[in-house]
Amino acid sequence: MATTVWTQRLLEQITKARVWRSIFRHGPARTNRTRSLAVFGNLSLHILPVKVREKSLAVRATYYLGSISFFLFVVLTVTGILLMLYYHPAVPDAYRDMKDLVYVVANGTFLRNVHRLAAQAMVLAVFWHMFHVFYRGGYKPPHEFNWVVGVGLLLVTLFLSYTGYLLPWDQLAFWAITVGTNIIGYVPLLGRPIRFLLLGGHIIGQNALLRFYVLHCVILPLAAVVLIAEHFWRIQKDGGLTVRDDNEREE
Amino acid sequence: MSEKNSYEVGFSSDAMKEPRRIVFITRNTSAKVKGDVGPQLMSYPHVILREGIVFQILTIVLVALALFWDAPLEQLANPLLTPNPAKAPWYFLGLQELLHYFPPIVAGVLIPTLVVVALMVIPYFGVNIQGEPLWGRSRRTRLQIFLGVFVTLFVFLAIYQAWTVLVPSVLVAALAFVPYFQPSGTSRFVRYLMSRTLPWWVMTWFIAVALTLTTVGTFFRGPGWSWVWPWR
Amino acid sequence: MSMPSEGKEKTPQKPEEMTPVSRRDFFNEIAGCALAIAGIGATVVTVEYSSPNVLFEPPTTFRAGSVDDYPVNSVTYLQDQQVYIVRTEKELWAMSSVCTHLGCITQWKPESNQIACPCHGSKFERDGKVQAGPAPRPLPHFSVRLAADGALVVDKLEIVEETEILRV
Repeated sequence: MATTVWTQRLLEQITKARVWRSIFRHGPARTNRTRSLAVFGNLSLHILPVKVREKSLAVRATYYLGSISFFLFVVLTVTGILLMLYYHPAVPDAYRDMKDLVYVVANGTFLRNVHRLAAQAMVLAVFWHMFHVFYRGGYKPPHEFNWVVGVGLLLVTLFLSYTGYLLPWDQLAFWAITVGTNIIGYVPLLGRPIRFLLLGGHIIGQNALLRFYVLHCVILPLAAVVLIAEHFWRIQKDGGLTVRDDNEREE
Repeated sequence: MSEKNSYEVGFSSDAMKEPRRIVFITRNTSAKVKGDVGPQLMSYPHVILREGIVFQILTIVLVALALFWDAPLEQLANPLLTPNPAKAPWYFLGLQELLHYFPPIVAGVLIPTLVVVALMVIPYFGVNIQGEPLWGRSRRTRLQIFLGVFVTLFVFLAIYQAWTVLVPSVLVAALAFVPYFQPSGTSRFVRYLMSRTLPWWVMTWFIAVALTLTTVGTFFRGPGWSWVWPWR
Repeated sequence: MSMPSEGKEKTPQKPEEMTPVSRRDFFNEIAGCALAIAGIGATVVTVEYSSPNVLFEPPTTFRAGSVDDYPVNSVTYLQDQQVYIVRTEKELWAMSSVCTHLGCITQWKPESNQIACPCHGSKFERDGKVQAGPAPRPLPHFSVRLAADGALVVDKLEIVEETEILRV
């Protein structure tokens, strides 16, 4: 790709060096063999199959809804971690930190907006993805278990959104969570103990905020990562994405 | 040749003389036919680059919207003062609207649990592999069952005055009846409806009800959860 | 897998004798039970850990002034405690202001003589009975006592019947 001879020679020297070759082992992915190795030999990429069916890459096949859901999760993680730098999950501080982020911190409003927008978009994308997979029959054997993993991911997404909703500690947050936790209290037998554990007490206060924070930032993202990995892995192992053939029956 | 020379190597083309095993079918299985997979492409570069493009488009859209659309921040949480109305986040507003009609244990616990269980069970419950349409076979019995279910649901919803659920159910059921009364599909739309399967109709009904509930909960409910017209 | 001596036991005449278990299976079963006990124990320990023993929440028993602080035929809302003190000509009671439907805080509306919940439109009478809306139960009454110095003492943890009222 380099144009001058000088840069070409420099790149050659770098890429032939021992240090380089110890990291990048297979060379540029220009043959089918090295392309296979680029995916198969890569820690994060080998969850994908080495080859895919051409039909599944069309936009109309999936509208890339699954990919969009995943990328929104990535965006939420990155913006979320940045927001964590200024947020204290304590009762007088939380609201103050929100004002801090919105009015004082450089690009604070922007990051918060991206986070909230991506959260709403992810709930929407996940629902749309589920309905679209249903309508194209992607749940039929051998993909049954992946569908169940997907429903689990839907629940994790909704719960992530719900726990995050409390964190600004404003009127909107407080009362939305009040209604929600009271509904949980209606579950027979286990409802009140679960509510007690979730809130760390009887009221929505200090303990509740901290527990929702831990759920939102640690427990649920870990669960999401594990389920996402299983979701991608199952697609590879079950034979790839389902596509419709021309007779409108799925393959 | 094969009669004279018994040491000849190779198969005779006469299957009666030299039967060859073609398929071995074990009991209780059917012969699996693996369809043609179709043309394939290497994940790198085709998948990786397309996903990269999707990610970039997504980021651009998110950034553009975030520059103009501010996230809300109301007053400090006050446990002593409930705002009027107190609404859940939009994806739970459908549930909150349902809570208006049914007691909390039904609308808050029973129905969401049933919905989640039903979703999980979809792939294991009578999967319609061939995609047989709803009115494909035994139309009269199916009509009776369908009418029975529909009337029961209608009466139940009317007793609880759950209009927000009733209206989309009636609309979807009306659409489902169309192919029964017009079997010789005239327009493309009717032919499309004719080919829809039962799971398709159930999911469409579910989405219609959920959308209606959420829309009403978002735009048509004001203080005290009373009915308001959004343009007022 | 079985020892020769156990092999002889394999030909019993009595059908109710137990089939011998090999040493490997026995130890596997023991190990499985040990793991199960450890797993259950870990879960119980975690759940008990997550359940707080000390709660830093506002006190539930409070003094509410004296009877004369409340005019006859009035409903007074004590905001800090979220409690209504209702006084009629001959009676006085303390009532929770938390709507029994989903926990929103109700409001006393003197113009319509009703306690209304803003969340889903539940309406209660002055004595807590449900008049309209999705609330399943009436507003609970709290116990009210007269202390030695004549002050009213309300205990929010003690819920009493509507018939238990203070006669004033």
